[in-house]
Formats: sequence, C-alpha cells, structure tokens
Amino acid sequence: MAQAEIPYQEAIPLHDPHSWITKYWFSQDHKVIAVQYGITAVAVGLVALVLSWIMRTQIGFPGAVEWITPDIYYQSVTMHGMIMVIYLLTAFLLGSFGNYLVPLMLGARDMVFPFVNMISYHVYLASVLILMAGYLFPGTLGGPTGAGWTLYPPQAILSGTPGADWGILTMLASLAVFIVAFTMGGLNYITTILQARTRGMTMMRMPLSIWGIGMATVLGLLAFPALFVSAIMMTLDNLIGTSFFMPAINSAFDAGEDYQGGSPLLFQHLFWFFGHPEVYIVALPAFGVVSDLISVHARKNIFGYRLMVWAIVAIGGLSFIVWAHHMYVAGMHPYFGFFFATTTLIIAVPTAIKVYNWTLTLWRANIRFTVPMLFAIAFVLTFVVGGLTGLFLGNVIVDVPLSDTYFVVAHFHMVMGVAPILVIFGGIYHWYPKITGRMLNDTIGRIHFWITFIGTYAIYFPMHFLAIPRRYYEYNVGESAILTQSMDILNQSITITAYIVGIAQFLFIYNLIVSYRRGREAGDNPWEANSLEWRTPQTPPVHGNWGESLPTVHRWAYDYSVPGEEKDFIPQDVPRKAQA
Amino acid sequence: MSSDVGQQHPLALYFWIWGLLFVISAGSYLIDFFQVGYDVGTMELRWALILVFMFLKAGYIVAVFMHLKWERLALIYALLLPPGVLLVLVGLMAWESDYTWLTRVVYFGAEVAPVALSPADTLGHH
Amino acid sequence: MAEATAESTGLKSIAEDWSSDITTFKGVPWGKAMMWIFLLSDTFIFSIFLTSYMTVRATTAEAWPNPSEVFSLTLFGTTVPLLLIAIMTFDLITSSGTMALAVNYGYRRDKKKAVIFMLATAFFGAVFVGMQAFEWTKLIQEGVRPWGNDWGAAQFGSCFFMITGFHGLHVSAGVVYLIIISYRVWRGYYDNTNFEIVEITGLYWHFVDLVWVFIFAFFYLW
Repeated sequence: MAQAEIPYQEAIPLHDPHSWITKYWFSQDHKVIAVQYGITAVAVGLVALVLSWIMRTQIGFPGAVEWITPDIYYQSVTMHGMIMVIYLLTAFLLGSFGNYLVPLMLGARDMVFPFVNMISYHVYLASVLILMAGYLFPGTLGGPTGAGWTLYPPQAILSGTPGADWGILTMLASLAVFIVAFTMGGLNYITTILQARTRGMTMMRMPLSIWGIGMATVLGLLAFPALFVSAIMMTLDNLIGTSFFMPAINSAFDAGEDYQGGSPLLFQHLFWFFGHPEVYIVALPAFGVVSDLISVHARKNIFGYRLMVWAIVAIGGLSFIVWAHHMYVAGMHPYFGFFFATTTLIIAVPTAIKVYNWTLTLWRANIRFTVPMLFAIAFVLTFVVGGLTGLFLGNVIVDVPLSDTYFVVAHFHMVMGVAPILVIFGGIYHWYPKITGRMLNDTIGRIHFWITFIGTYAIYFPMHFLAIPRRYYEYNVGESAILTQSMDILNQSITITAYIVGIAQFLFIYNLIVSYRRGREAGDNPWEANSLEWRTPQTPPVHGNWGESLPTVHRWAYDYSVPGEEKDFIPQDVPRKAQA
Repeated sequence: MSSDVGQQHPLALYFWIWGLLFVISAGSYLIDFFQVGYDVGTMELRWALILVFMFLKAGYIVAVFMHLKWERLALIYALLLPPGVLLVLVGLMAWESDYTWLTRVVYFGAEVAPVALSPADTLGHH
Repeated sequence: MAEATAESTGLKSIAEDWSSDITTFKGVPWGKAMMWIFLLSDTFIFSIFLTSYMTVRATTAEAWPNPSEVFSLTLFGTTVPLLLIAIMTFDLITSSGTMALAVNYGYRRDKKKAVIFMLATAFFGAVFVGMQAFEWTKLIQEGVRPWGNDWGAAQFGSCFFMITGFHGLHVSAGVVYLIIISYRVWRGYYDNTNFEIVEITGLYWHFVDLVWVFIFAFFYLW
C-alpha cells in the first residue's frame, strides 16, 4: 500500500533562526517556546512561593513580622492563588509540556502555526508583567487586589478591599491578556493533534500525555470564554459604573458609585463555569503525563489504555456540568444542590477508574525507582487523599459546615495544587535529558523529592483537622480568642514545614542550572522509553525534529516487557513482525 | 496539490440561499413591525416566531454559506456537540434567575415596576 | 491533498475518521481547522455574553425598556419600529452573500472577482459599523448610558453597549482582516494554494453575521 501523503508536513517551511534574537527570544521553534514558557512559569511560581511564606508567617506567628498588615496578607493570598492556578500550573502544563511534547510525541516537525505559537508566549509574558504591575501601585493606590483568587464581587471592587482601585484592574486585564495568549497556543496544540500526526499515529496510539494535554486544551478553549466575559463585565462595573454584578444594596456602602440591581450570583456562576473546567485543565495533563511516567518506569504497559482515554474524554465532558458545587453556600436556587451533587459524584467515577489503572499498572511491575517514578507514585498517593476529601465536599449536607474552612484549603491543595506540581517535577526530571542532553543530578533529585513529598503531606494533611475558618488574618484577638493552644502549635509547625519545603525548591532550581553544564551525558534514550520524542536523530532535537523524513508509527507507546522479546521495550516506530 | 478539493458549488445555489436569507430576515423584522405579542397574538407566539426565524437563518448560514453541510460528519459533530454544554448553562441560569428575582421581590421588598417608560415619555417627541 | 476520502455517512464514517492516522478532519487544511476551532471558542464567548444578558434582564425587578420603541426611527412623520436595525441586518446579509461569492470565485481561481467581492464585503462591513456608530450616538443623545437610563433597568444600556460593542469590534476586525487578505491575494501570496484562505476569511465573516442573528433575536426582538 502506498504511503499516504502527509499534507504540508513534509515540506513545512521552517523559519530557521539567523541571530541570537530569533533563536532564543523570538524563536518559532516549539522546543524553545516550551522552555521560554517553562522558565517564565517557574519564575512567577517562585513569586507565589514567597507570597505563601508571607501568609504562612502571619498565620503561624501572628504579629511577629510587623509589615504583614491585613492588606499585605490578603494581597498575598490572592496573588498566590491566581499565580499558582493560572500563571504557573496552566502555563506550565500546557504552555511548556504541551509545546514540547505535542509535536515530538506525534512525529510532527513543529506546531502547525509556529508564528502564532511564538506570539502566544510573548502575550503570556505580557500578561505576567501586567499582573506584577499590580505591585507598582502601592500605598495610597492600594497595590494588587486582595479579593481572594475567586475575585467575588461586590467585595472585589468596593473600597475597603485592598487594591480595589488599580489592583483589581491589573488583575482583570492580565487575565484577559492571558486568555488571548492561551487561545493562540491552544488552537495550535489542538490543530496539531488533530491534523498533523505522522503516518501510523492514530488517536488510539497517542501517548496518554497527548490525550491529557489535548483534552485540557479543548476545555481551556471552551471554559476561558466565561472568565474572559466576566473579566470584561467586572472591569466595566469597576471603571464606568455598570451594574452587571453589583446589587443596589452596595450604594449604601460606596459613596462613589450608584449601583442598581446587578447579580453577584451571576459572577459566581460564570466564574465557576470557567473555574471547574480549569481544575481539569490542570489535572488532565497531569493525569496524562503521570500515566506515561508510571508505564515507562514500571516497565509495563499502562493498564486499560482505552479506558484511560475514555475516562479523560468523560471527565472533560462532565467537567462543564459540575460547576456549582463550589457554590453550595452561595444562596443559589435550592434545587441546584441536588443536581450538582449528583453530577459531581458521577465525575468521580472516571477519575477513580484512572487511579485504579495507575495502581494496577504498578501491580507486579518491574519498577525502577528513578526520581521521575518517585514523583509519579507520590502524585497517586497525594491525589487519592485530595480526591477522597472531594467526596465529602461534593455532598451538599457535608459541605455546608466545611465550607470556608481549612478542610477546603487542604482538599484543593492536595488535589490540584501539590498533585499536579509533583507531576510537573516528575516530568521535568523525565524530559530534562531530552531537552538538554544531560541528566539531572540524581542525589539532589532524591533529596528534593523526599523533602517535597513528606513536607507537603506534613503541611496539608493536618490542615484537614484544623477546622478553622479560612481567609482570617488573625484568629486570637483579645477576648475573642478562638484557637486552642494545640491549634496554634499545629499552625506553627505547618508554617515551619512550609519554609523548609520552599527552600528545597531552590535546591531543585540549583540542580536545573548546574546540570545544564555539568550533568551526566544522557544519550538518546536514557529511560529506555517507547514514545517518539526519544527517537529523534539528535539529542537535544534540532529545529524540524526529524531530519530528512518523518518517523512512521507501527504500534502504541506502551510495548514494555513484551514476552518473547529481546529488550523490555519496543519503540513506536519499530515495525511489527510479519505474522508467522 | 490537486484543485478538486475545497468547496465548489454552483453559483445559483448561493443566490437562492441569499434570497432566502433576505426573506427570513424580513420575516423576523415583520414580527416587530406588526407588534406581534403586543398588538396581535400572544407573547408566546412572538417568542416562538423569533426562535423559528432565528434558527432558520442561523441554520442556512452555517450549513450553506459556511459549507458545513458538505463537510465530513467527523467535523460536523466535533463542532455541533460542544455547544450542548451551553444549553445546560442557559437552562440552569434561566431557572436560577427566576429564583433570584423571587428572592428580591419576596425577601428584599423590591418593587416590581409594571412597564418601562418609552423614549416618548422622557424626550417628548416621536 | 491526495487523501483517500471515503463517503462520509453514518456513525461509521465518524469512527473511521477519528481512528485514522495523520488527519482527523479529512481534506481540511490546517488553517481552516484552526479557524473552525477558534470560532467554536468565540461561540462560547458570545453565548456567555447573551446568557449574562438573559440573567440580568430576568433578575432585575425594574422594567426592561421596550427595544421596539427605543430603536424606532421616525421617517416622514411616521414612526417605524426597529428600522435602523432592520437595515443593518439586511446590510450584513448582503455582505454575507458577497463573501460567499468571493469564496466561490476563489476556488475557481478567479482572483480578480474574488478580490472584488472581498472588498465589497469589507465595504458593507464598514457601512455596518458606521450605522452602529449612528445608533450609539442617537441613544447617547437620548440619555442612555452604560450605567443607567431614564426608561427602566440600568442593565439595558450596560448590555446594549457591551454586546453590540463587542460585536462591532468583531466586525471592524473582520473589515481589516478582509482588506489585508484581499491585498495579499491580489499580490499573489496564495497563488500556489487552492485559495482556501478566502474560505477561511469567509468562515470568520459568516460567523460575525451569525452572531448578529442571535443578537437581533434576543436583544432587539425579545
């Protein structure tokens, strides 16, 4: 049978760089853009880390640091949340992993529109700078917004909330710009996945990383519009005094504006119509990547590949009809709790299937406890705890007393904070040899892993039992002291652990920098993995990825430990043996 | 690249659909011209007519002018299924806004204004 | 593209297309696939604008001004309801028709006619934006502001300016897009292709018209 022609792919015009600027700054190579996204996301993530230290210091040792005023505290909480969810997790998992892996794993030369891809990064960078510009308006102008990362009106734009003048505007503008950046990148990822695969690469042969990234991109393209629109409406409410979200009752408190008859509940619905898919925008790429890490390092095919794929698809679809389980105490229609609790429990089914399949992949496997594998196993352990507490919070009657307590904080940090970050670490340890050609230092990696894993457990597990309201600046004020001594001790220990875990991350960054020059030479395929990114003619791959001709795929990515075979792995581009 | 791909259809078809779209647009405009729901018929009739003309017009634009009718089913379904979640959003928000309205009127004592003023009331011309 | 494209009927063809290698949407160029997916995303943006409009309109206890009265024009002493909006609707439909012709001539490799009809489309688009500017001016003179008006619920003006403004921006962007693409078609940028770029531009333009269908139905007529 004649080989099908691959449209455009074979003759894609690559814009080869001519200068340092076009090679490293305005590069159109998806691999460089991936690294740009990664470095920016890590940098902004470090800001979020420092912010978390600020708020933990206040909670653990109230009043110990004088300059942590209530304003600073709430601004830190808000910026920490938004940076972690959007500018670190979303940007890293899709912007960095997505950019690097999609063309390489599919056997493409680049993204379908490299120029748009390049613009995407620079618009993302602009959104980060606009976000940080909130700090340029300190003092009387109020600094960045302190409304909490959910930015609920009316309080987000009423005077009295820190940053109600300029901070909220820079935040909303930054989000809108980020969405533009994401749309440009996301259209590229999804079009590449659908229209630019190599010969033999069917959807059901794609590594699960690509399924996770692809589905998350679809969710992003369909969910970010809700955030975009609500950002526009809140900007209008704030700037020119429309009343989309601002009810009349606020006129009494805010002399400046005459608001009438807007609906704060509308914002909450729109925010969570974006916000819940956002949870899966972060989770699905993590699910995908961790499936690949577990399979590669357990030397065993992923258990139930097809079910894993359909679970990703099902989660993607269901994630759009569960949003109001974040709003059980918001005063919405009384029947909504029933509907959303039901859909929430249904979405737990495909998620649980994935956990079973990871576990069953590990079952009786020839596990190599490499650093990526340690992070992958840690992800499963963390995700299970976070997922189980989700069952409590998904049920209305249990959620009502737990709302706005540290139980919720512990839940979402476990399930969508720590868990995806562990996958990001695992992924970096796994693909760093392909990106740079050198291994990361193993000893530092193991130290980093154990401090991070045990540390994050020590931070978030006790929070479940802390049972105190969240978003309080101070609990014990004079007569109204509400914390027992044991709670104080718990809070202090959590804070100290947070310092240690934070410092350990600098160890990781040191490792990244030092190994770039001094790391052990990795070779083409140090993990003996099957997927196409390990089959490039050069390591690190050059512009265009595949040299003269594109690879041809003959099998799925999970042929590990196939009985009767010489080696315990068979890469995807190795032809099948003729049937005897 | 061969030139037998792309969307090539007889020009006459486009003129037919173009004309049809004018007729449908005129139809939806006539709903207001004859003040259906205010002067003749009920509001339910008005809403039904609005929706019928809207979906007819949107359907012809998407199917013929955007060529979706001739695309492969794989693309058609990929484009038409996802907006289904919007129907859930619209339905639930319609339900929700009834409830919000109720709480405002019943619990917050908001006064229900019977009819809006018209420009003629405030501007004095027309 | 010389891809073997089997008959596209029934669920079987969907399953076959989605389980094939190389491309999922057979015979669809990259740019066209990307534009369709972008339009899907944009559909969500406009749908959420309209859903928000529905919510604030249904939750307000104030009465909603009657668009039929607000947007009427007085010509030769008689008041005709929604006249300007009707003219704008017909203008957009006209532009959609010229765009469809441009696409058709593009695929016939008739560059001259394709460019002429694209520029005609851009012209009708510019006329639409002009009429919208007139409409805005008239309303502002009558005292409608985004934060309130003399007739009823404040959200009337908020939704009107936001939704028609966002749609107007799309039309304006479309006009610029059309002019750029027709210039490039004229200069021969796409001579080696099938001129699918004209169809891609057309998809965007028809989408803008499509959005207007929903705005017309829900905002002006409801």
